[in-house]
Amino acid sequence: MTVAIEVQDLKKSYAAVEAVRGIDFTVAAGEIFGFLGPNGAGKTTTIKILCTLLQATSGVARLAGLDVGSSPAEVRRRIGVVFQDPALDDRLTAEENLHLHAVVYRVPRAERAARIDEALRFVDLYDRRKDLTRTFSGGMKRRLEIARGLVHRPDILFLDEPTTGLDPQTRARTWEVLRELRQKFGTTLFLTTHYMDEAENCDRIAIVDHGLIVALDTPAALKQRVGKDLVTARTAAPEALSRLLTEKYGLTSAPADGGLTFLVEAGDAFIVKLLTTDRPPLEGISVRRPTLDDVFLSLTGRQIRAEGAEGNAARLRALVRRRG
Amino acid sequence: MIEVVYALWRRDMIKLLRDRRQLVTSLTRPFLWLLAFGFGLRASVRLPTGGADFVSFLVPGLAAMTVLFASMFAAISIVWEREFGFLKELLVAPVPRGAIVAAKILAGSATALIETSLMLVLAPLVGARFSPWGALASLPLLTVFGMTVNALGIVVAARMKSFEGFGSVVNFVIQPVFFLSGALYPIAGLPRGLRAVVLVNPMSYTVDAVRGLCIGHHSFPLALDAVVILGSAIVFGALATRAFRKMEA
Repeated sequence: MTVAIEVQDLKKSYAAVEAVRGIDFTVAAGEIFGFLGPNGAGKTTTIKILCTLLQATSGVARLAGLDVGSSPAEVRRRIGVVFQDPALDDRLTAEENLHLHAVVYRVPRAERAARIDEALRFVDLYDRRKDLTRTFSGGMKRRLEIARGLVHRPDILFLDEPTTGLDPQTRARTWEVLRELRQKFGTTLFLTTHYMDEAENCDRIAIVDHGLIVALDTPAALKQRVGKDLVTARTAAPEALSRLLTEKYGLTSAPADGGLTFLVEAGDAFIVKLLTTDRPPLEGISVRRPTLDDVFLSLTGRQIRAEGAEGNAARLRALVRRRG
Repeated sequence: MIEVVYALWRRDMIKLLRDRRQLVTSLTRPFLWLLAFGFGLRASVRLPTGGADFVSFLVPGLAAMTVLFASMFAAISIVWEREFGFLKELLVAPVPRGAIVAAKILAGSATALIETSLMLVLAPLVGARFSPWGALASLPLLTVFGMTVNALGIVVAARMKSFEGFGSVVNFVIQPVFFLSGALYPIAGLPRGLRAVVLVNPMSYTVDAVRGLCIGHHSFPLALDAVVILGSAIVFGALATRAFRKMEA
């Protein structure tokens, strides 16, 4: 396994706040690695340190074996960054934005035009290449930024909240692009998000809260940690089924519309066992895996979305204070 | 490296040429001064220089003023770019910050050069009389002065976190530099204290050199003007590079 990103005991504190309080993780080359957590958890700070835009207070961060603090220029050449807020020059055309990027990242002159065309086609913006980016919608801007991140073929692409504020269709399309990208170029993707459903697209996820990693694993394993699946059974005889579950398996069930629901570990295997050995009279049965929402809740005791909204409000208040 | 500086410079130039209205409106300021102030006071002002009339006397000062405003506003675009995110794209790029500063300064002074050239070409139309060759010879000096102003603007912009500070920059930087430069009056008759302030202002030497070349009236030797103009460009260029290096996104 080639290591793309290596972080050891990374810390960053501002005047009064410890934004990142000592985190460790490793990302393999070609991996899609997600940083999941509410606003203010330290996600953007971490990404900024890895992108050389901020100096860490202490700890080690290495990209492709290069220390972020001591060789920022070499690191910058190997990475692409898609920022949380659009960072396009809106008075230039799509093509001009990419061209400037290609020159600045020293893409060989002979390859520039082909790379720019390829990147624009990749994100479906080739037809709009001569248009000023100020005329683009939010989703188009985000896609153009991803295209820009591809022009210099970075080993690692950082995406800070890549789909925040996009409509569901554009979000799905963005993810298609990102997966294609990994498949085609073997690019390592490091992204932050506070969308639970989005994190499921990652190979591995680090759940961050208050500047610390509280869990790091594959989405499936994280969900496994919560353990139980939610089973919903439709039956004409809920009392009999309820008695069976309690007496034989020690499970408590709750009545539901047209049947009952219960929580059980490894729900799919349990259903098979139930159906083959006990053959209860059932009209239908379904299993729902725990979502990452459930995982976050069980790890931190809080809902991520509620926290996210609160974080936004706090940020807005801080902004207003700063302006005022 | 040169290609990177050129590409960044070209970007600012493309935007300038795309926004031609800005070029036209930038001419409003010097011509307003020339017409209102120049013609308004022409009859009452008796210059110690003899020959030139007041309108022609003002032209070099207003040429330098055009450079001052154009270069300063070009530098302040950094704040704009920070506000709208593009600055991050530049700061994370694998180029030395010095190259970004160089491109900014070259673009800012080129903008100033274009605007001040337009102003000098049009000034004779309202009756200003000066040597066209002198004006041509002034352009390199005005451009270098533009670099100084742009570099100063970058130092200011690197510290400004929002656009709200813009007004104070105009009030506390541009206005004093302009009014205390001899652009609007001969510095010979100034009281000593005021004269001292004028003497530490690089713009005074630019105005003096351009006035010398255009209408033959100057207070300092041309060589001294040139040394001050070049020297301040180097000093402020270094300060701008330092300010930019320390900047975090």
